[in-house]
Amino acid sequence: MSTVTLEAVSKHYGDAVAVARVDLDVAQGELVVLLGPSGCGKTTTLRMIAGFIEATSGTIRIGARDVTNDPPYRRNVGLVFQNYALFPHLTVFENVAFGLRRRKVAEADIARRVASALEMVQLGALAQRLPRQMSGGQQQRVALARALVIEPDVLLLDEPLSNLDAKLRQDVRVEIRRLQQSLGLTTIMVTHDQEEAMTMGDRLVVMSGGLVQQTGSPRALYQRPANRFVAGFVGRSNFLDGRATGSGFVTKSGWQLRADHDLGAAGTLMLRPEAIQVGTGGPNEASGTVEDVTYLGAATELSVRLDGGDFLFVHETVDAGRSRGDRIALTVPPAALVGLSD
Amino acid sequence: MTRRGLSAAALLAPATLLVVATLVAPLVLLFRYSLNRFVPGEFMVEAVTAANYIKFFTDPYYLAVLGTTLWVSLLVTVICLVAGFPAALFLARTRTRFKSLLILAVVLPLFVGNAVRAAGWMVAFGQKGVINAILGGLGLITTPIEIMYTTTAVIIGIVAVNLPFVVLTLQSVLEGIDPAPEEAALSLGARPFATWWLVTLPQAVPGVLAAGVLCFILAMNAYATPVLLGGPSFQMMAPVVANEILQQSNWPFGGALSFVLMAVTLTLTAAANLIVARRYRV
Repeated sequence: MSTVTLEAVSKHYGDAVAVARVDLDVAQGELVVLLGPSGCGKTTTLRMIAGFIEATSGTIRIGARDVTNDPPYRRNVGLVFQNYALFPHLTVFENVAFGLRRRKVAEADIARRVASALEMVQLGALAQRLPRQMSGGQQQRVALARALVIEPDVLLLDEPLSNLDAKLRQDVRVEIRRLQQSLGLTTIMVTHDQEEAMTMGDRLVVMSGGLVQQTGSPRALYQRPANRFVAGFVGRSNFLDGRATGSGFVTKSGWQLRADHDLGAAGTLMLRPEAIQVGTGGPNEASGTVEDVTYLGAATELSVRLDGGDFLFVHETVDAGRSRGDRIALTVPPAALVGLSD
Repeated sequence: MTRRGLSAAALLAPATLLVVATLVAPLVLLFRYSLNRFVPGEFMVEAVTAANYIKFFTDPYYLAVLGTTLWVSLLVTVICLVAGFPAALFLARTRTRFKSLLILAVVLPLFVGNAVRAAGWMVAFGQKGVINAILGGLGLITTPIEIMYTTTAVIIGIVAVNLPFVVLTLQSVLEGIDPAPEEAALSLGARPFATWWLVTLPQAVPGVLAAGVLCFILAMNAYATPVLLGGPSFQMMAPVVANEILQQSNWPFGGALSFVLMAVTLTLTAAANLIVARRYRV
């Protein structure tokens, strides 16, 4: 296993910029998630690391090795695809053995290493099956074993859970994370699913329009998003336009909120729906009318129009049985205010 | 159930009737003729005899014609598959917006009939033809090379006729093959040729088989190209059949030749299917 370094890596298609000067350091044993909507450049970035797309400029290093101009077959990366990409004409055993055979590993070692790789993903009994005789979850675990058996320097996961249904997705997600942590795999994963990214990543790289918007731990991204895009993409958010004052924020409609920290020169205030409390008893109180109620299970989402004109989504964890038109009092804790400059 | 059976029958009936009327009935008739006796001057005499088939299998001349037809067809098939696969793979995988134009370019030769195309090759292959003129003009040769009326000319001609069919058949199958396993193979350390050999080709086997069978059948039955480019001394089965029926008026022997040709073609096609199906579990 190894580190991965991207230095000002860009990809241009004619005039169109797919990826713009991405810098990234992935530490040994770290799981970094590239997160963003489709077309944000995350898949292009992953494919440049794998070697399927040539970078227009910049340097890609795996460990100390500059692989920028290496073809994929010399990079020693393990790749897992959204659609599994197993060899349909080969048995599970031969699928997993494929990379070892290319490395001219002795037959006895192949048998031993394939068996232990399949054991690792709990598929030891299915070695002689063909891919089409297996479920999606099993196929993706074979793909994982196939990628890991070659002892790659880095594991690349391209939307590995997107083709699985909800229950399997949970299983495979846990499986990938367990293997990644126990084997200390340096891993880069691409996903558009923020929940997947939050639960699996040591660090998240949020991308949009070919640019890295923010890099940080799931907690850092959630609590201190760098801009409105990140705040909107990671979790549910309320955005209120206005301006920062010395002690807090005043919205366009004139609602004054006090903060316990400096909001800088923020022009937008971000409030997480679950950080807003129902009831009175703080410095930032407001009252309003419930416009809509959506039951989410663990919480109920209330759409509240404040009397001052501002609009907020609020997540209430106790089921208070509210309905449209109810009057409601809200309190925003001073610590919950997040200022965004754009 | 009954209604569905009836409507299926109604849908199949026109094609079935057409095939029976235009293919099966004449074949049955021709097979019957092949058992008749040929008496010069009397045309065809009613009989039930294997004499025509015995004549074919005991006369080295006709066996040699069948041999030529077989090896030319096999060689043409191999050349078409080898030359057509890269083109088909390119067409299947390209993202260029000119893709439909490229496919049109492959289809374009089919707009010209076989005989016209063979006539074109005659212009190119002759002693003073285009090819000799160019090679001579470039100073690469001093005496004209003999292409016209050689086996080479026939093979080039049939390859040119069959290649579009092979490329289109392969392309349609390759379109359906997911490129992701190839990328997986590359990432696992397989070089491009190993990737093609171990991952792309095995998945393309049904397409290669279909294209190969199509090409082989077309070559086995080629008529205009061997007649026009092969000249009088070069003989393949289809021209010989035509000669027996049209020139010699020997319908019984022409019928026997037809059935030998058809039987050999069908047997080899079925054998290829069986072998490939067993080998690749398709």
